[in-house]
Amino acid sequence: MIDPITIIDPITIILITLGGVLIGLGVHFIPVGGAPAAMAQATGVGTGTVQLAAGAGLTGLISAGFMYNNLAIDGIFTSVDYITVVASGAIGSMIMISVTMFVGQLIYVYGVGVPPVSAKVKKDPITGDVQDLYVSRGTEGHGVPTVSFVSGTIGGLLGGLGGSMIYVQLMEIVGDPSNMAVVALAGIFATGVFYVNAVLASYNIGGTIEGFHDPKFKRVPKAIISCLIASLICAIIAVPIMGGVV
Amino acid sequence: MVDPIVMDLGIVALTGALATIAGAAEDLESDVGSQSNPNSQVQLAAQMNFPHRIFNKAISGEPPAYGLWCASGATVASVLMAKEMSIFFAIAIGSFVAAIILGLFSVTAHMGRTASQKRFKQPVYMDMVLGHVPSIMAHGYIAIFCIVAFSYIMNHFMGHPFPLPLLAFLWGIAAGAIGSSTGDVHYGAEREFQNQPFGCGLNAAFSGNIVRKGEAGLRNGIDNVWACAKFGGPLTGLALGMTVFLDNWRTTVFEGMNTIIAGLIIVLILILANRMVEVKARKAYGPYKDEDGVEIA
Repeated sequence: MIDPITIIDPITIILITLGGVLIGLGVHFIPVGGAPAAMAQATGVGTGTVQLAAGAGLTGLISAGFMYNNLAIDGIFTSVDYITVVASGAIGSMIMISVTMFVGQLIYVYGVGVPPVSAKVKKDPITGDVQDLYVSRGTEGHGVPTVSFVSGTIGGLLGGLGGSMIYVQLMEIVGDPSNMAVVALAGIFATGVFYVNAVLASYNIGGTIEGFHDPKFKRVPKAIISCLIASLICAIIAVPIMGGVV
Repeated sequence: MVDPIVMDLGIVALTGALATIAGAAEDLESDVGSQSNPNSQVQLAAQMNFPHRIFNKAISGEPPAYGLWCASGATVASVLMAKEMSIFFAIAIGSFVAAIILGLFSVTAHMGRTASQKRFKQPVYMDMVLGHVPSIMAHGYIAIFCIVAFSYIMNHFMGHPFPLPLLAFLWGIAAGAIGSSTGDVHYGAEREFQNQPFGCGLNAAFSGNIVRKGEAGLRNGIDNVWACAKFGGPLTGLALGMTVFLDNWRTTVFEGMNTIIAGLIIVLILILANRMVEVKARKAYGPYKDEDGVEIA
């Protein structure tokens, strides 16, 4: 008979919930301008919040899955291994978002001919560059200024970290990295929890955000509470299902 | 005897090359069919009394759409491989099936969207459906084939634990996110609005006023992909290729915590490169207003 404590392990549920909250928090850091940014009408990357956050976070999940398999396949998974796996997920996510923002920047600068600029602050908090004079008429800024770029990498870090934590916790319930069914189930659950939190955060953002310097960033506490509740529900459902695979 | 690390790096380079082709094809497919964020202007054009001949299909955001196509292709390929079909043909047939699904969704999305604009007198051009859908499917096929192929390489040769359909699904989402974030800006901010001065963002007052006349005749989605293939498409390919290559490279060359340090260095280099581009752009283009807030450009 399976021990119920094993199936509904509170520490696992707490860590999965924490992973979900990190994802929700990370989404707020990612500079997305939505459809207006695709027309260089708003600062940030020209796509939706969920789309970019999910793209980055799930790239991190691929990295974390690869690293977890390398480290846990021998049956011993230490705390150092845990840190290495979640850090690898965070770095994978950061690489994806940094490359995307950088290439997007090249298109804004060389394809559209606009300088990167924020419309939410008069001076870039990191470089000190004047911003308002570089905003073209009828727009809310364009491109990815340094402050948004740095914010985006932090968002990638948090998103990748959260997604990887969820994946590792789910994998650790069964502890059999060679079982493809378990890997697939953990991977798809982590993806699902990622989307739940990214969508919730995107409702809070309401379309566009430039990064941590944007006034909308002050709405973060509301997102944390909602993501906490949503992730907790997801964890309560996911953990017994994974436990049932044993 | 070839050193194993050389062989591993060759495999990593191959995944990067496939991802580069996939990224470019993914972006160009979304330009022919006008998907993702710039399509908001195509949709708006008819409502602003600018009827047009641009293909209008926003099936969904590009990431979920490509997640679906790639997962479908990889699932069919996995089944065929399980039945001992050759890997190349299994992936080719899987991608073909996914391209057919993409074609079906394109037709329904385009006709549904355009028919709903009857009140704005936007016609449904049947010749556009016949002319654009094969091109959409062809670009989609290349993208799906390459994504499923490099997912297979990661799964089979590099030892990634995720099953092929899940891996292709995740890379499909990443490819869609990159395509929608990079190449689509070239289509949305430049190609759709070549009637506006170069070197500024789209003034909100001109929303919906997309270019409707082409180099010859009326402009359509195939004219758009012709222009975007010169810049937006290749750069999207570069972005996906760099993402796949750099992420695989650091985990192949280094081990343990060194993979993290290598990744952090890559991110720092990108932050610095972005700053250099920013400074260069500010110097080259200058401000739009003087210090008193008076417009000078």
